[in-house]
Amino acid sequence: MSKRKRPDLKVPAPYMTEQEKILYNLIQSKQDLGIWSWDIKRETSLPDNVVDKSLKSLRSKLLIKEVVNVQFKGRKHYLASEFEPSSEITGGKWYNDQGFLETEFINFLKDQCLKHIRNLKIATVDTVANAVRRSRVLKIDCSSQEIGDIVRALVLDNDVIEMRSNGLGEFASVPTGRMCYKCRRSPDAMKEPRVGVMAWIPCGVCPRIARCMPGGTISPMTCEYYSKWLDF
Amino acid sequence: MSFRPSCDPLASSSSSNTWSPLVQRLEQEQEQRQRQQQPRGGGTMVPPSQYGIKYAVHIISSHFGDLVAKVCECLLRRGPLTHRNIVRFMEISASQVKNCLLVLIQQNCVQAFSVEHPGGDEDESRRSTEYMAVFDNIIHRMRFPKFVAVVSQELDKECVELFQGLLQHGRLTLEKMIDRAKSGQEDCPAQDATRETLSKLINARFVERCPDPEPHLSPPSEEEGRARKRTKFSKVAAEPQTIEERVLAAAAPMEAKRFLTIFHTTTEEDGQKTECSFPGVGEKRKCDALESDKELGSDGSQVLWRVNVQEFMHRFRHKACVENVRERLDGGAAVALNAMLETSRSMEKKVKTDNAGPLTINTIYEEVMKGEAGRAMTLDHLRASLVMLGCERGTDESYQIDLKNIIELAQNEEVESVVLKRYGREAYRIFRLLSKANRLIETDKISSTAFVDKTETSKILFRLWKDEFLHMEKVVVTGPRQTQFLLWKVNKSTLWPHVLDEMYHAALNLNLRVAYELEKENELLNLPIEKRSGPLEKRYNRLRTVRLLLESSLMKLDDAIMLFHDF
Repeated sequence: MSKRKRPDLKVPAPYMTEQEKILYNLIQSKQDLGIWSWDIKRETSLPDNVVDKSLKSLRSKLLIKEVVNVQFKGRKHYLASEFEPSSEITGGKWYNDQGFLETEFINFLKDQCLKHIRNLKIATVDTVANAVRRSRVLKIDCSSQEIGDIVRALVLDNDVIEMRSNGLGEFASVPTGRMCYKCRRSPDAMKEPRVGVMAWIPCGVCPRIARCMPGGTISPMTCEYYSKWLDF
Repeated sequence: MSFRPSCDPLASSSSSNTWSPLVQRLEQEQEQRQRQQQPRGGGTMVPPSQYGIKYAVHIISSHFGDLVAKVCECLLRRGPLTHRNIVRFMEISASQVKNCLLVLIQQNCVQAFSVEHPGGDEDESRRSTEYMAVFDNIIHRMRFPKFVAVVSQELDKECVELFQGLLQHGRLTLEKMIDRAKSGQEDCPAQDATRETLSKLINARFVERCPDPEPHLSPPSEEEGRARKRTKFSKVAAEPQTIEERVLAAAAPMEAKRFLTIFHTTTEEDGQKTECSFPGVGEKRKCDALESDKELGSDGSQVLWRVNVQEFMHRFRHKACVENVRERLDGGAAVALNAMLETSRSMEKKVKTDNAGPLTINTIYEEVMKGEAGRAMTLDHLRASLVMLGCERGTDESYQIDLKNIIELAQNEEVESVVLKRYGREAYRIFRLLSKANRLIETDKISSTAFVDKTETSKILFRLWKDEFLHMEKVVVTGPRQTQFLLWKVNKSTLWPHVLDEMYHAALNLNLRVAYELEKENELLNLPIEKRSGPLEKRYNRLRTVRLLLESSLMKLDDAIMLFHDF
């Protein structure tokens, strides 16, 4: 359901030219997804200068607004004023108005969640969310689902292990079958996961390995990465 | 229709008009046979990859020279061939090919087998001997020091020496082992001592009887029928086998005979040398012309023994599982797993066993108590460790563990590590998401779940796809406006072989670099120690460090190769 403000019936609708009406109706029909200026020109088949002038006029009349499309930040994307842009356009809670990921905020939340998981030893999303709320470190409220997203991101970072409770041993406090989380390593351990064997040698991390061959332009005998690795 | 050449192609080099159609026909037959040999819907043995073959050829070349390596390469690339076809493809003399095959068979790198070709309307069926390269055994040659290390830990010095002899010579009769033990020593150990040493190695399953030198392979239709009959009432359908699997299965001695330590006395008088015998221990291999393919097999009256690679693969697989658990969980879980594996190893029929157990808690605990690390462990601690391992618990407090899962986790970690180092942290998160999900996911969903900026997500996904780490599918949704969605997935069935091929490539590169570094400093290496001083000594020390680093890296990389190929 797209978000839409109720139009104020006391304020008369501003005057629009025929071209402006065509554009406004098109933009309004797209609801909270909005439409790219290039698509407006394509769908209305109006001359470019007419479209540009009409859009400027509609904006000044506060009938439409320009929003940042998080996927295509350089494009001019328009919405009717009464709609809030969908998360497909804005990127959702984790993106700012300029369409960039709120990396600092996300990393802060990750650190907080990791700290609470470490304290709890075995945690569920709900116990972590409650712990975060009780700590009152956040100025805005984060739902359990949003905390769950952050915890799952910690799993992807390999800082936290995800497993299902079997109700035994250390999982005794968690109902059987519920997903729970524990820290992968102690706070003193290295931040990075263990380096695999292949990643440890030059060939393993070389982006040109497919082109490497004896006698070729790239070869193990002339390889720069090897020379640096063996530079004692 | 059987093929009969109208003239002997080796007789005259001017017979080019009859020669090229002949070669073409042979190649067509070979291609057809290779297509038939491709596994239909499965078979567990995967043909070696491009760099797998190059690496194997390099190993053979380093150990036995270029000519033997070329014959080996011919078999690896073209599949099983008759002696005659090898000669034709290689364009070298028949005796050279035979000698190369002798070496490769002696070293367990080639297996001969006979196969019947059905005749046409007027022609009788004919039986021919073909030779098949055993890729795994070639790669195992790089692991010989690891095998020796295992034997050294468990058995005495005499066993290690005998074992090293078997590695060096590939296969030996008891008589040859005794000769070898006697040579160069004034006080030669008794025959009984050598028998006893060999018995110890056999009882520990480090040594086994050699396979049949030339098993007969029935035509595929007959064997399939027999297989279907056998599995008529079985729940699991028999997997179709590759030609390699069929040959090795046909050649393998019966399980009851494989480790039978009854030693037959030799039927030959001492000093007698037959045309069919393998050269004596320590003698230079001579280019004896052999008249028929049968002479490439062993003398049936004497039992040949060789290293039992399967036992070492079992042990290495278990070790890999224990180390993975130790790093991922903790020491207690590693001790518990080790105990389960030690107890169940003798019951495992194949290397790639899916599960270990079920074993009762008391059985596991008895084994735990034997080790130093486990002596301080209580029964409750053991239970907690088994739970942490994710063991399946039975009603009688028996535990079973999924080894296949541990191996998969170890493989995932290895590949994820490469992605992290090569493409960065965000790519690492994206890759882990797709690897865990094991299904197609759309770009936006990946971006939001992995917390990676949308534009950056697309770039990363394309890079990973271009380098064959990801599989991509396009979905076009038609409507008022056509929209295209891109879906992504980690396809392990294609990615794992790709990763393994890169590992073979890396292993080959390490080998080549070692050779290059040593060749570069060849003069320095030939200098007497007393002349190596000052800058020369520094260079020498650098070379030693470089060699140590490269060779130890190769050994560790070999562990990763086993993880993807053998475990």
